[in-house]
Amino acid sequence: MLQLPCRDRELQVGRGPLLLSQLDSGPGLTAHRAHFGDVPERTLPQLLDAARLGGVRGRGGAGFPLARKLEAVSAGRRPVVVVNAAEGEPASAKDSALLRTVPHLVLDGAHVAARALGAREVHVVTATDRPETGRALEAALAERGRRPVTWTHHVAEPRFVSGQSRAVLELMAGRAGLPVTSWVPEATSGHRGRPTLLSNAETFAHLAVLAARGVECYTGHGTSAEPGTTLLTVTREQDDGRRSSHVVEVAHGEPLAAVLGSPELERPVLAGGYHGTWVAPQQLRGLRVSATAFREQGLTLGAGVLLPGSDRTCPVAVTTRVTDYLARQSAGRCGPCHEGLPALAQAVARLRGGSDTRPRIRELTGLVTRRGACAHPDGTARMVSSLLTGLPEAVQAHLEGACSCAARGRAAAYEERSERS
Amino acid sequence: MSRSIGTLRVDWPACRARGLCAELLPEHVVLDEWGYPVVAGDLEAQTEPAAREAVAACPHRALRLVTELGRP
Repeated sequence: MLQLPCRDRELQVGRGPLLLSQLDSGPGLTAHRAHFGDVPERTLPQLLDAARLGGVRGRGGAGFPLARKLEAVSAGRRPVVVVNAAEGEPASAKDSALLRTVPHLVLDGAHVAARALGAREVHVVTATDRPETGRALEAALAERGRRPVTWTHHVAEPRFVSGQSRAVLELMAGRAGLPVTSWVPEATSGHRGRPTLLSNAETFAHLAVLAARGVECYTGHGTSAEPGTTLLTVTREQDDGRRSSHVVEVAHGEPLAAVLGSPELERPVLAGGYHGTWVAPQQLRGLRVSATAFREQGLTLGAGVLLPGSDRTCPVAVTTRVTDYLARQSAGRCGPCHEGLPALAQAVARLRGGSDTRPRIRELTGLVTRRGACAHPDGTARMVSSLLTGLPEAVQAHLEGACSCAARGRAAAYEERSERS
Repeated sequence: MSRSIGTLRVDWPACRARGLCAELLPEHVVLDEWGYPVVAGDLEAQTEPAAREAVAACPHRALRLVTELGRP
């Protein structure tokens, strides 16, 4: 485990089989070249094959197949490559961990893609709330020349929606990095109207490993349906806002027990981050690290964030805190999100207060879904809905005063009494 | 049963809840509790003129008719 200094959390990165196999010799270019070799040159057909056989899907949360995106981008004018490491999700830390430990792997992936696509510019986006990540990127870029591709670093405002693809393109265009309506996919028309390969930082790291190590080595990990590995951020949050994040690289198909402690598997987990879904303990048993397995159960792994609970956390209380945060993170530009998320946060807060607002919550989640320029209202609604559908017993227990909130309330009252006596 | 000619899409950051679309095209647009349009269903050929009128009437040009052909 590597401990990284971080201003807003305790951050640890574990050694892994592919992406995180080179943590001990530091993030420098010489060490990287010694481990992974020179940056490989690949033709577009070779890269498409590698992405297809490696089964690489976008790691920003949407999970779109990379090979299909590469094909779409290569169909028109000279494309532009964008590495998205804005990581607006506070519970996630994997993109930050990549750029701080193996930045050249991410940059090699972008380099290989740019060369295969005939792109000359690569843009990399980080956010101001993770200054160590931006500095690590700058240090890595300084070690690489400006040929054969030019590198541009953009720094996004610390907003949950800053990493949304249209928000990133807005930032690159010199405007406020806020989501706008997309009429055409950025793969067809993105930065300055050019076809744009805009993918998450981890996606590029997988492409680099595939190019450097070969398809056979890559598919030697994971399952035949889902080859390779994935990064997960296991974030443990306290009520007072303190958090610790562990970034680990896990082969697809591993049991969740590989990354969560056994008491944590006995309690609900919020999987997929703040836009994710609640997973009940009975579902956790037997669930594997696999985007497909999650999807088949109506769950999402999103960008690979897992938020386990402790005996002190009640899912209703956590949902209240997260919904309130997400409502405040609305850019405020789209009416249904601007009006609907605060109303939803209020309805969830009233549920926490003991009123049965479930019908109002269902109404509001329906009203905000698919009614914004970006997926922020959709993701927020999905997370809140999953509390009602995935953890009905926990909600009932909370309403009946039989959850950990009530136990803590009783404990506090007891302490108060003993102090008085 | 006539064929769908496309769908209505709202440019959400542009929409200011003026509500003209719901007045001109009540069979496809209702307003939510804050006055923003809830757009339903594919458009059929006979509703196209009314849909185009609603699109043209929006003072913020926030309503668009996305046709099958126009789709990327």
